[in-house]
Amino acid sequence: MDDLTEMLKGTLEGCVLEIIAGEETYGYAITRRLNELGFTDVVEGTVYTILLRLERKKLVQVTKRPSEVGPPRKFYALNDAGREELATFWTKWAYVSSRIDKLKKEGGR
Amino acid sequence: MKFWETITGSDLSREWKAFEARAEALPDEHRAAWGQIVSHLLPHGDFTGRNLMPILDGALGLLEETAADGQSVHEVLGDDVPGFCTALAGGEGARTYRDRWREQLNRNVARKLSRLGG
Amino acid sequence: MGIQDIIEGKKQWRAHKARVKALPADYRIVYEEMQKYLFKVGPVDLPDGPLLPGIVDFFEEGVAAGKGVLEVTGNDVAAFCDGLIQDSPTYADLYQASLDGDLGKKSR
Repeated sequence: MDDLTEMLKGTLEGCVLEIIAGEETYGYAITRRLNELGFTDVVEGTVYTILLRLERKKLVQVTKRPSEVGPPRKFYALNDAGREELATFWTKWAYVSSRIDKLKKEGGR
Repeated sequence: MKFWETITGSDLSREWKAFEARAEALPDEHRAAWGQIVSHLLPHGDFTGRNLMPILDGALGLLEETAADGQSVHEVLGDDVPGFCTALAGGEGARTYRDRWREQLNRNVARKLSRLGG
Repeated sequence: MGIQDIIEGKKQWRAHKARVKALPADYRIVYEEMQKYLFKVGPVDLPDGPLLPGIVDFFEEGVAAGKGVLEVTGNDVAAFCDGLIQDSPTYADLYQASLDGDLGKKSR
């Protein structure tokens, strides 16, 4: 779906954390995963800025590894703080989405 | 030069001398712009000069880069040097300037990339 | 004294420039424009920080993936830049904060 940029703000970081939690991976692969998921507007640059932020907040462990097709790649894995952040994200997400569902069901009264 | 008198303290004047040496190496046009920037930034507030150093350093760096790339001062600073300085110091109107820089960036990219394609 | 260290032909900076030069033209153009913008905005960790070399790393990967530059940055290059420096204060921020500090002292 197009035009999700505004709505995705604030949740994309959680999505990236979740993808990294699955397995150690790198930026371009993360972007591909998000695109496959249906977030077609997400470009590599968006993911790159998120990874930069995760790194600054010390939520990920970064390892440089050689690549067959180009320059070495930075691989990202979650550390303990990152796993904690991810758990918090899902808790918040569950809360927000349950509230919004409730609103939709009951209407604006 | 006026700004020499404004600055006291030997470590500060050492930094100024370093700035001056770098400015000397600039082409005339860029050196003139540096002079303008300095004279507009200095009266910018009530300060010792210390907190302004990084901003001046950044501005000089920008001029050096511009000169090294063979670009004109105008291309980078635009017409309004005082406004540019206000924006550098983050004062009133800085947001407007940041928006303008943003537009400028995207416009330049679009223009130069299209030239490349055609 | 970051920026001038970079500018004044330190080895790393020259190596960095050489990497930029080796990029395909479209990437190089976007890099140069981004750098100009970032110098003006002046995030504090620009000079010695990993930001600029990081952009080149990122671009080199884009080249290796066979993508065009705007495909990886998105069309709004400025928004990409702002995302990169979102949580780093600029020199202007520090300067303004120091002014506020002075005012605070005076009013007391």
